[in-house]
Amino acid sequence: MATEGLEFAGHSLSRASLDACVKCTICETQCPVAAVTPLFSGPKYVGPQAERFRNGASVDHSLDYCSSCGTCTLVCPQGVQIAELNSQARAVMKADHMPLRDRLIGQTVLMGKVMTPVAPIAKAALNNKPIRKVMEAVVKVHADAPMPPPQSQTFEGWFRKRPTPAGPFPRGPVVFFHGCAGGYFEVETSKKSVEVLEHLGYQVIVPKQGCCGLAQQSNGLFKGATKDVLKLCDDLRSAGKDLTIVSSSGSCTGMLKHEAHEIMGVDDERLKDVGTRIVDMMEFLLDLHEAGELPTDFAPIGMKVPYHAPCQLKSQGIGKPALEVLRLIPDLEVVDSGAVCCGIAGTYGLKKEKYEVAQAVGKPLFDMVKETSSELALCDTETCRWQIEKSSGVKTEHPIFLIHRAYGLS
Amino acid sequence: MSRVVVIGSGLAGLVAANRLADGGAEVLLLSKGIGGLQLGQGTVDVLGYAPQRVTNPIKAVAEVAASHPYAAIGAQGVLTALGYLKELAPDLLVGDPEANYHLPTAVGALRPTCLAQPSMLAGNLKAGSSVVVVGLRRLKDFQPELIAGNLARTELPDGGRVSARAINVDAVAREGEIDSSGLTFAKAFDDPGYRQRFAELLAPKLSDGEIVALPAVIGLMDRQAHADLSAKLGHPVFEIPLPPPSVAGLRLNQALNARAQAAGVRMVSGVRTVGFTADGDRVLSVRNATVPAEREYRADAFVLATGGFEAGALAMDSYGAVTETLFGLPLVGTENTPLIHGDYWGAEQPIFSVGVAVDAQMRVLDKGRPVYANLRAVGDLIAGSTRWAEKSGDGVAAASAVLAADSILKEL
Amino acid sequence: MRKLAVDVVVIGGGSTGAGVVRDVAMRGYSTVLLERADLGQGTTGRFHGLLHSGGRYVVSDPLSATECAQENAILSRIQAGAVEMTGGYFVTGPDDDPAFADKFLAGAAATGVPAQEIPVAEALRNEPRLNRGIKRAIEVLDGTVDGWQLVWGAANSAQHYGAQILTYHKVTKIDTVDGHVAAVHCTDLKNGEDVLIETGFVLNCAGPWAGQIAAMAGAHPVDVIPGRGIMVAMSHRLVNRVVNRCIYPADGDILVPVHTVSIIGTTDVKVDDPDHLVIETKEVQQMFDAGEVLVPGFRKARALHAWAGARPLIKDNRVAASDTRHMSRGMAVIDHTTRDGLDGMLTIGGGKLTTYRLMAEHIVDAMCDKLGEKRVCRTAEEDMPIEGAGPNYVVTHRLHDREHDRLDDQIICECELMSRKMFTDALAEQPKGSFDDLRRQLRLGMGPCQGGFCSMRATGIALASEHIDIERATELLRLFLKNRWIGLWPILHGEQLRQTALDNWIFSGTLDIEHLPAAESEVVL
Repeated sequence: MATEGLEFAGHSLSRASLDACVKCTICETQCPVAAVTPLFSGPKYVGPQAERFRNGASVDHSLDYCSSCGTCTLVCPQGVQIAELNSQARAVMKADHMPLRDRLIGQTVLMGKVMTPVAPIAKAALNNKPIRKVMEAVVKVHADAPMPPPQSQTFEGWFRKRPTPAGPFPRGPVVFFHGCAGGYFEVETSKKSVEVLEHLGYQVIVPKQGCCGLAQQSNGLFKGATKDVLKLCDDLRSAGKDLTIVSSSGSCTGMLKHEAHEIMGVDDERLKDVGTRIVDMMEFLLDLHEAGELPTDFAPIGMKVPYHAPCQLKSQGIGKPALEVLRLIPDLEVVDSGAVCCGIAGTYGLKKEKYEVAQAVGKPLFDMVKETSSELALCDTETCRWQIEKSSGVKTEHPIFLIHRAYGLS
Repeated sequence: MSRVVVIGSGLAGLVAANRLADGGAEVLLLSKGIGGLQLGQGTVDVLGYAPQRVTNPIKAVAEVAASHPYAAIGAQGVLTALGYLKELAPDLLVGDPEANYHLPTAVGALRPTCLAQPSMLAGNLKAGSSVVVVGLRRLKDFQPELIAGNLARTELPDGGRVSARAINVDAVAREGEIDSSGLTFAKAFDDPGYRQRFAELLAPKLSDGEIVALPAVIGLMDRQAHADLSAKLGHPVFEIPLPPPSVAGLRLNQALNARAQAAGVRMVSGVRTVGFTADGDRVLSVRNATVPAEREYRADAFVLATGGFEAGALAMDSYGAVTETLFGLPLVGTENTPLIHGDYWGAEQPIFSVGVAVDAQMRVLDKGRPVYANLRAVGDLIAGSTRWAEKSGDGVAAASAVLAADSILKEL
Repeated sequence: MRKLAVDVVVIGGGSTGAGVVRDVAMRGYSTVLLERADLGQGTTGRFHGLLHSGGRYVVSDPLSATECAQENAILSRIQAGAVEMTGGYFVTGPDDDPAFADKFLAGAAATGVPAQEIPVAEALRNEPRLNRGIKRAIEVLDGTVDGWQLVWGAANSAQHYGAQILTYHKVTKIDTVDGHVAAVHCTDLKNGEDVLIETGFVLNCAGPWAGQIAAMAGAHPVDVIPGRGIMVAMSHRLVNRVVNRCIYPADGDILVPVHTVSIIGTTDVKVDDPDHLVIETKEVQQMFDAGEVLVPGFRKARALHAWAGARPLIKDNRVAASDTRHMSRGMAVIDHTTRDGLDGMLTIGGGKLTTYRLMAEHIVDAMCDKLGEKRVCRTAEEDMPIEGAGPNYVVTHRLHDREHDRLDDQIICECELMSRKMFTDALAEQPKGSFDDLRRQLRLGMGPCQGGFCSMRATGIALASEHIDIERATELLRLFLKNRWIGLWPILHGEQLRQTALDNWIFSGTLDIEHLPAAESEVVL
């Protein structure tokens, strides 16, 4: 098991998919990193092109500039698994010399658990420039990188301590997966999600749950990531068979739906089961609407807000459900950002040597957000929200906040 | 509102989606990628060679063989489509259906096309002109000596020749980079300050009365970039389209996509459409290869704009069996064996004329009868043309798309 | 008319001729090599890419097996840059007789070919695309070799010792006086000039064409039977070691990783004319089927390019004339003195690329005997190039090099990571070369896009270098695309067909290349 993930990385179906590359350059024209720095030679180069020259040990370190945003795989008309190829090649490349920093960033649950009890102090430290400078020097996390805001109470803490909702629950049970951010850092997003689900008539079940392993996987720590994602599957399955699992963590949903399988080769029945039953929050609401089952008695919200569809939502191939659902709210004007990537790419933009690149990647988005609204921006994934808020100065929330408000719940 | 699903976001798919949305239908556009327009040169071919060079494309359209897609489409269909295209991208597509432009290519041939971008038009050369082809050292896809050398020894369609010379300038698209893509240059040329500095670099090297030929990288977003540069140089300037990444193609792709979104077309992209369900003679839904479970999209009508072999809509396996890869539709042209022959500079390879047969409404036919009443095929998927050699792909795509959309709107 | 005078004329620029001219020059003779095309365009440029461990012959041809094992070790050392030490496997397929592996191991022991059986699980772990159903696996020291680097290495070494290498010189006549070779006539195809070379000895190393050359000197027919074999290159390395079927040698039983592709081969069909080798559809299908046995899913993998080469086999009474595979692969030196009353010429036939150096040693020894001279062969002792053979080839080379110079130099052929400087350097060495001559040195156009993106760039750069004019440049481009197609159309399907569609879109649809002006006068290419 130990090296299985890496062995898969070395020789996998993604490598076979390089045969589909016809050098059309479409991926290169859409890559947000290649657009801002010559240091990255582009997805076609480091993916299907360089792979023909690899044999085990990697010799091309410029590969490390790939942020794994997944845009290349998304836009490739031929079906080359470019982003997956790059992720795997990078994992093989780093296997021998994984920086300490990358191991730390991957431990999102650990970070959350450690930070929560001392949240006010942790928050102050994270906002304290000298301490951040020290962090940058020692751990190589950039001093200005958006770090998650620690909360005083975890989501699960709130969920268990609140008075049990009375019901009835005409729509039956549904499982809620909160993810690390939704569990420790962005508790409000999870709370509002649960409240909307209950408003719709669902009985929300929140089993004790761990981390999906995405941060580790994107840093090439396949062993730890595989262990975590399978444990999470056990946690979510424990809530009951055949139940729909709803999540407001866009990237975690992507990990469960396809990334753990396509990048690390995890081929477990448990993952297949969970991956089939999990839906993104806005996808869930749109499906209800298409079936004619979503109450549309929304109160008007007279605002113009920019919406950014995160890379990991786009790569799920479900379009942009948030756009469709939000447009049901009267008087609300939602403007699609049209931007490729916010730059954070999970943990990429936190890293000292990648910070400037990440900021350059996101600049068109930050500019668009500022031009569209000074009050509020919307985005489905947590690290993207922190990045957008930090770099544009505009408060950024999950779309569920407006749904919650439009239903009169806030 | 009735729902229509369009599969494929190349020229045919985008035109169909826009037309349907303009007509009041609820349109869902499914696409694996972002369409193939950025692989092409950003112009609209109607008919370039039949097999001799065509000067009046609309007239030539009326004279095609019965097996050619234009026969079912008709000259009027093409005229309507050209008018609609100009509506969709008014600042990008100009031209006269009765007079082809003959524009220099990146190897120095003279290529007929019908609608072109304003920035290319000064390339429609007159005998006796002097052209200076300006290469950018850091752009390897534009070889000025090759272009100038071949232009100078080409007889113009109306007779006579031009004189042409080549020069190179070392414009920097991005600091620290020597192997820049056309796209990187185009983004630089979007900046008026960059254009000014470029003009200062180039102007001293130009001779009086020369027409300046540059690669088609003069701006991506800024539609005034070309006119501005020409004014700063004090010379007429024209762009020559490049192989992919084609900035000229990207401009057109962005324009048509933006227009579709503004018209309310809903887009789902990134995964392939792999299956369908049908009941009797009606297609009910198509299925996307979303992971891990497929997603189904139901509609009242379906437009298959999936392209040809280059897009994977048609494929041939290692045994030589040719299929249409989504619906498994019957194909015509497979009887012209051998489908692939060894004479590279000889006749067109028969395989690339393989496709589906359609009626006047673009419904796919099997031995003369529609396979499904609500399934239409447009663009490269239609059999019977040699689109690259005769330069007809864009006209067939746009005209078939308009006809298909209009016939659906009538039905709904 | 140009005139030269040398001790020895070597005819044929394949591995045999290149090895011979090197040996001749190193032994101090003045010499010239004549080749009607580019070096290595005959059998040598169309082989499998395999540097045999000898394993293939341990049961069927023990003498060859031993020679291969010895020469493999020598070439890996003295021509290291042309050789990749991939290692190899002999695997028993799901339907093959597992007992053959025991014969194999016994034969290996008897012939001195290093071989060791390994657990199947280990083989599968190392080669994940291998058929999961293989029953036994044996590890050997197969390597792979670039045929053009091999012949040019030997030719350059010969030049260092004063030899002249005349490519694009076609032999037209061999003069004899009183039953002794006196001169060789040839034509310089690049400029039409006739060349007369006075000499006392001719070494006929023309491979499948050796019979035609011998006839020019008036010898009785030499029965060289061209045995045509086809090879298909797959678009990437499906395996990183040579993989052989552990069976008595048959068609399509080897998959060889060479540079960035893997090559499946081969077939064996007697033909009459080595200048007209057809790639038969039936044989292509046979190769795909053979590939499926080794790598399931082979037919879904991307076939990139195919070619046909002709083995130069000497007719041998032991084997039926129509079955060329089992004719002796050993070398045969034909002495024309007794056979034809002709002094001063030796013809060599048969052999395989792995033992080319040894073949050359034999023929030059025979020549020295005829001349009554004792000059010792040193070709096994000295590196090519003489400054030091350097490290063995590894497939990661170019990726490593481009990683370092990517920001200082443009990459012209992106598929094969060929930089602009590599191209302009090669151009300077061969200003009159065709793009295929350059391709053989650089791999230009040999990757997945098969020239789709790089051909135009290369043409422009060649023209800008001022070595050629616009007419020549345009005709060279046309010829390059035409030649690429020879190896594409017989195997075109799946993803490579998709590539061809895109390439046609670019060349025809965007560039309108077919309407470029024709040359006003004939361009000799």
